[in-house]
Amino acid sequence: MGHGRLVLTTGVVQVITRGADVAFVIDEEATFDVVAEELRGFLSKQDGLWSKGDITLNVGQRMLARDELAQIKTMIETHSGLTVTRFWCAPESLDGGEFKLETRSETESNSSRIPKTLVHNEIAVAKPVRRTTVKPQAPVEPRTPAESQSSVESIIEDLKTRHNKNGARNRNRTEALFIKSTFRSGESVHHPGDVVVLADVNPGAEIRADGDIVVLGSLKGWAHAGASGDTKAVIIALDLPSARIKIGKYEGAAPTSPRRKAKSPAAGAQIAYVRSRSIQVATFAGRFARYSKGVPYDG
Amino acid sequence: MTGRTMVITSGKGGVGKTTATANIGTGLAMRGHKVVVVDTDIGLRNLDVIMGLENRIVYDLVNVIEGECKLNQAMIRDKHAYDLYLIPAAQTRDKNSVEPEQLRELCAELEEEFAYVLIDCPAGIEQGFRNATAAATEAIIVTTPEVSAIRDADRVIGLLEASGLHRPRLIINRISPELVKRGDMMDQRDVENLLAVDILGLVPADEHTVVAANRGVPVVHNSKSSAGGAFLRIAARLDGADVPLMELEPKTSIFSRIKEMVGIKGGAYSHA
Repeated sequence: MGHGRLVLTTGVVQVITRGADVAFVIDEEATFDVVAEELRGFLSKQDGLWSKGDITLNVGQRMLARDELAQIKTMIETHSGLTVTRFWCAPESLDGGEFKLETRSETESNSSRIPKTLVHNEIAVAKPVRRTTVKPQAPVEPRTPAESQSSVESIIEDLKTRHNKNGARNRNRTEALFIKSTFRSGESVHHPGDVVVLADVNPGAEIRADGDIVVLGSLKGWAHAGASGDTKAVIIALDLPSARIKIGKYEGAAPTSPRRKAKSPAAGAQIAYVRSRSIQVATFAGRFARYSKGVPYDG
Repeated sequence: MTGRTMVITSGKGGVGKTTATANIGTGLAMRGHKVVVVDTDIGLRNLDVIMGLENRIVYDLVNVIEGECKLNQAMIRDKHAYDLYLIPAAQTRDKNSVEPEQLRELCAELEEEFAYVLIDCPAGIEQGFRNATAAATEAIIVTTPEVSAIRDADRVIGLLEASGLHRPRLIINRISPELVKRGDMMDQRDVENLLAVDILGLVPADEHTVVAANRGVPVVHNSKSSAGGAFLRIAARLDGADVPLMELEPKTSIFSRIKEMVGIKGGAYSHA
């Protein structure tokens, strides 16, 4: 909201407009009743401010119960004639923490506006309630709290099932980091997701990723996949010459004994993974292929 | 005139930065350009010795920056090449007596008068390196075909790219064609693949270079020297001339050349 125009600031609520969009920033400390009062007072005085654009509600780190969320949702819908069509929050903060509530005016959602791309843990409400006759200036009949409550519940349930399906492995993951030029000696990166390097990783460079590491080149530097302890992470490289690598807590270096060396994959992309508590390397045959025992790395 | 400011750097010491600076500077001056070479290795100055100008030094870089003398008072005209000037480093001070911003201002002033401003960078990646690279808009990396020098070159290229000096060009110095042919030394392709930068020139190991440095006459003045020829070609490439890279061939005797012609394999140096 950094570039927005501050429209109003009371002790508790700040209203910031940016273009057609409106953002409410609510003080984290104030009690819910005070916030609700302020918000209601402001909403009832305004009309036409959000005839188009999005409304964002940022409650910071406030612990927000579900019925309170439902109340805010109802309040915005009642006073502005908007419908909540999008809702997102971090899965960890479903029972408190940061909530973001986005609403879009009915007139907008009917237009041919291109939908926003979803953030990794964002969820679009599958079937937004269409109320075709609503005009922003004419407040609609408030829906019963029960109805509103149930739709919030369904959104949260939907989010939860999706989250569980992805499993805990993708928890907290951010987008992959792309490194597009040679990653050189002395350069180092720690990324909380996957890392993709579209060039070589030279000796003396360090890559630490909480997810997988993919190198579309030769990996000669130090690489640590699953840095947050995930031993299911893998390292994939077109060439894995003599790198010392680490996956989760397991560390290994390319085999030095001639017998093991001879067994090392000769050509093609290689994948390093953890099997029987040691790092093994095999010729890459797909991310989710079943790899048998590869060439073990020296622990 | 708007000159080009280039820094000649390597990371590792002793790979031939100063020799390269002196020879490229001389080479560019021999092509008719007005050139100044600036020694930023404050405390360990060498460029004046290589160019044979050490007993002409009155004022130095730090004197200029601290305002104790005028810029042209510190510029020493070269004995051999026309329109080549040297700004020597101070010997009694250290790298911290200069700030990157001061050197940037100095080079901006020099660019108005000179076509080429060559900065001889000290070894290392500390203050001296930051000073030397701050003013440059182009970078030349000098390395030798040794793993340690290449590792340092890689680090330096990373630092240069991070500070906005993109696409540095590489000089591989002291290549021994005999060792390369035997497979005991990395060849240009190995180095090129590892560092992923364009090659500006290949300079063979040549004892003339050592002799020339000791005499204080850059090796480009010696028409018999293979290294001198290589530096002249580098100067031409910097100048925009299209000079292809020369494949370095080991010196062969007339006898072995005749053998090769009639199809007898040339022993250890035979083509793979």
